[in-house]
Amino acid sequence: MGFLRIDGASYTYPPDETVVNGVDWAIDQGAFHCLVGRSGCGKTTLLKLAAGLLPPSRGAVHIQDAPVTEPSPQVGFVFQNPTLLDWLTAMENVLLPVSLKRRPRVADRGRAAELLALVGLAEYAGRHPRELSGGQQSRVAIARALVNEPLVLLMDEPFAALDAITREELQADLLRLCASRRTTVLFVTHDIAEAVYLADRVAVMAEGRVRDTLDIDLARPRAPDLRYSPRFNELCRAARQAMDAA
Amino acid sequence: MGARLWTYGLLAAFLGAWEAGCRITDISELILPAPSVVLTTLWHGLSTGYLLPHIWLTGAEMLLGLAAGCGIGFVCGIVLGETAFLRRVLYPYIIASQVVPKLALVPLFILWFGFGMTSTVIITALICFFPLLENTMTGIAHIDPQKRELFRMLGATRMQTLFRLKIPSGLPVILAGLRVAVVLALVGAVVAEFIAGREGLGAMIIASQGMMDSPQMFALLVVITALGMLFYQATLLAERWVLRRHMKGTGQ
Ligand SMILES: Nc1ncnc2c1ncn2[C@@H]1O[C@H](COP(=O)(O)OP(=O)(O)OP(=O)(O)O)[C@@H](O)[C@H]1O
Ligand SMILES: [Mg+2]
Repeated sequence: MGFLRIDGASYTYPPDETVVNGVDWAIDQGAFHCLVGRSGCGKTTLLKLAAGLLPPSRGAVHIQDAPVTEPSPQVGFVFQNPTLLDWLTAMENVLLPVSLKRRPRVADRGRAAELLALVGLAEYAGRHPRELSGGQQSRVAIARALVNEPLVLLMDEPFAALDAITREELQADLLRLCASRRTTVLFVTHDIAEAVYLADRVAVMAEGRVRDTLDIDLARPRAPDLRYSPRFNELCRAARQAMDAA
Repeated sequence: MGARLWTYGLLAAFLGAWEAGCRITDISELILPAPSVVLTTLWHGLSTGYLLPHIWLTGAEMLLGLAAGCGIGFVCGIVLGETAFLRRVLYPYIIASQVVPKLALVPLFILWFGFGMTSTVIITALICFFPLLENTMTGIAHIDPQKRELFRMLGATRMQTLFRLKIPSGLPVILAGLRVAVVLALVGAVVAEFIAGREGLGAMIIASQGMMDSPQMFALLVVITALGMLFYQATLLAERWVLRRHMKGTGQ
């Protein structure tokens, strides 16, 4: 049960700061889950536990029933900061996951170029990170996470640095891409409307625990003007109340 | 552009004042030769080819010492930077070896390797070793933790993390160490020649002193300074070339 499963996972930063506290969560294959919560509640830490970047102090994480003990190549991770390599071009940064395995082929370059075009950076492929704006850098980082077509995608506030319009475009693109590849996604965000628009299910986190879950019953595929529907606003209000209660 | 003009203007003013001072006070050439005298001596040394073998020798010693010292320093810096255990065991020894004034070792090296090039090259290499070691260790140690996590996430091996993340990110710091080494190398080579050399610019200075030939000593100083500036500028150019991809977008 559950393609990605988090079973009673806790994490304590030395000496004794427990930041994630007994979280149970399961995501079915192809499902899109969002994690919301206030700053400092432990979202990034939970995501790193799911990725295998941090070992849980208690509990376990499983992907396809195999325990996660170290980062797996099937998992794509978008960090909260773009984390690009300054001495590589945008294209080379996107190709980094490939070039660490083998020499990139023409097909890889084609895929990277497509992804850069998808995030609206087709003309910027030859630029270096410092020649890009903050939002453009985060879009390169998103393309990099997608280049190996991972089965699981863990994203830490990937759209936080973007303007509303670009963000909405990228949300739609991300949904399309993940639906076509049946990617399993756990997506961290501060933004309630973003969570409701993207997710099948929203987890509300506070003080290291999942305090509430919210099933989003909006039909897919989701049109952009869904955001103005009464049901959408109702769900946003419900999510907001859950956050306030937590 | 204005700054450059001032630089040359200042040089001209300084040389002019020096020349005028020498002529007015009629000071002995032995104490302070006028720039015109130094220049004549220098021109004579260069045009007759008398200075050239010495310039080549000192330049070669410096380059060989620099290459050996920096190469070994770089490799040791990587090994120590990568293995915390070795670093803890060996670092006190390395510090101790650096505190020893290396020029004080020249007499010993003369005993072991004889007068001449070998001793000078070894001293120069010893002097260049430390800046590279130190900067390589620092350069590859201070890597953004998120970038390390990225490489872990991408399943990079230790070697890949070293060659594709740590060394490229540390390159600016490592090359700053090289710049320091270049300056030290020239000092090292010349001073080592004072003691261990029969030829070379340092040995020539000692020889001119013996003959009380002050204009020659000044001419040699000019040559050494020019040699140092040349190496330094070449290093800067090389550094800029190596870092050209790092510099992209920093407005330089
Ligand atoms: N390396 C660390 N050592 C000690 N404490 C840490 C460390 N990293 C994070 N913390 C603490 O753990 C808590 C949760 O951090 P985390 O990064 O998971 O929060 P977050 O929910 O992602 O916040 P934000 O929305 O601001 O990114 C914070 O209180 C933080 O101070
Ligand atoms: Mg965070």
